[in-house]
Amino acid sequence: MADGLVLASVTFHRGPLVVLDGANVRLPRGGTLVVTGANGVGKSSLLQLCAGLVSPEAGEVTMDGISLEPHSAEELVRRGIRRACVFQQGGLIANLSALDNVALPLRYHADVLGLCEPMIEERARFCLGAVGVAPSSMLAQPGMLSFGIAKRVAFARAMAIEPNLALFDDPDAGLDRENAEVVEDILKSYRDDPSITMLVATNHRALIEHLGVTAHELVGGRLVRLDRATMPPSSLV
Amino acid sequence: MQGLLQGLGRRALAGSAFWLGCLRMVVAAIRSIAAPGAAARGVIRRVTIAQIFFTGAQGLPFVTATALVVGATMMIQVHVAAPGMPGEIVGNVLVTVVLRELAPLVTAIIVASRSGTAIATEIGNMKASLEVIGLVALGIDPARFVVLPRLVAVTLSVLVLEVYFGLLALAGSLVVAAAFGTPELGAIKDGLAATLTPADLALFAVKGLGCGALVGTLACYFGLEVKSSSTEVPRMTGMAVIRCVLGCVIYNFCVTVVFYGLFADFARPM
Repeated sequence: MADGLVLASVTFHRGPLVVLDGANVRLPRGGTLVVTGANGVGKSSLLQLCAGLVSPEAGEVTMDGISLEPHSAEELVRRGIRRACVFQQGGLIANLSALDNVALPLRYHADVLGLCEPMIEERARFCLGAVGVAPSSMLAQPGMLSFGIAKRVAFARAMAIEPNLALFDDPDAGLDRENAEVVEDILKSYRDDPSITMLVATNHRALIEHLGVTAHELVGGRLVRLDRATMPPSSLV
Repeated sequence: MQGLLQGLGRRALAGSAFWLGCLRMVVAAIRSIAAPGAAARGVIRRVTIAQIFFTGAQGLPFVTATALVVGATMMIQVHVAAPGMPGEIVGNVLVTVVLRELAPLVTAIIVASRSGTAIATEIGNMKASLEVIGLVALGIDPARFVVLPRLVAVTLSVLVLEVYFGLLALAGSLVVAAAFGTPELGAIKDGLAATLTPADLALFAVKGLGCGALVGTLACYFGLEVKSSSTEVPRMTGMAVIRCVLGCVIYNFCVTVVFYGLFADFARPM
């Protein structure tokens, strides 16, 4: 069984855009991969592909030897694959409160995760508190929250399920310094956790430097390792 | 000629893809009933109950008002257009027109315009704001969490509201008849009793469940057809309502024809 995230001869297009063209990528369990690239090059699509949210046209995406397919979302959790995805927009459920957003996956998989209702609520509140969401904001729906707080809620939801595969799309985009630091701390703790395999798509040079991980640039359907000393300024801000 | 054939071919292919997509979605939702996960089933049960409340309970005032007015209007028409019509025949007309045709169809149209639009809009917005893909990322099957509760809720709600509509429309008719004094209520009741057959129960169930399933399926399908832009939502919602209404009218017609063909007693004139 191959540990970690493996993309084997994966080809994927988003419309006319070549996101991956027969790419082979192996990210060992506990590893961190930072992906950069110009706007519109397909970083978000790559993350969705690696999360198993879309199917490749050719090749296979596996995590710890288990094929990631969109139609087997629940089966993956039962087989021990716990994914955490934070999208640029957050992807929170609009008609649920922040607390219920964080608690939803815990309630849904309570039998698999071995949780009862008091534990679910306690864990959801703990995760929201850990990212600095005030108790007064926990009962508000995402539409009532500021962008930064909503992003924190999305991170709390990702943390709550105790993921072993974490994917973050522009995690600090649009955040003020305080919120960005909260996000950086979470990413660093995931980077150092040997049980979490993490992918981060970003063009923020500061975030890449904070993470201290070699970045790869997505270009022409391939991931090209970037020398930290010669990061092309064109794609990084 | 060639262009016409190509156009017809394209439309046929698009139609097949549309119905196949609907079928695939419904099959995925029904299959998810048997999927493992006791906790997930509990969550789905709660979502379904909430959807039944939104679709069924909150739809009651509209159905009540419409049914009473439709029933009353029928009796006013009888009084004006056919003042001497015997009560037995009026009872027959109420069963054949109000109970067998208007109750299922008007109920389905009310639910389509009220809940169908709400469901298509909600799911469309969920798609546009990445909530649906977010659910998949959390290990939650959208067919189970999003489609199944709405499909069940709309189907059951249309069935129950259809019965409610039928009873209230009859009540509205009888109140107007009592106010005019003619035809006699006793004669109308005799006409109702003579026309209603056990097959009416089956007709009610087939029409209610069918129209409900049609509205639920189309509303969910068009909501999920939204790709990434919120500007697609009103377009899909509009298409959902139009297809729901058209689908229910055609379905209602087909079921009526089949039932009158199958059950000789059904078509017996007074």
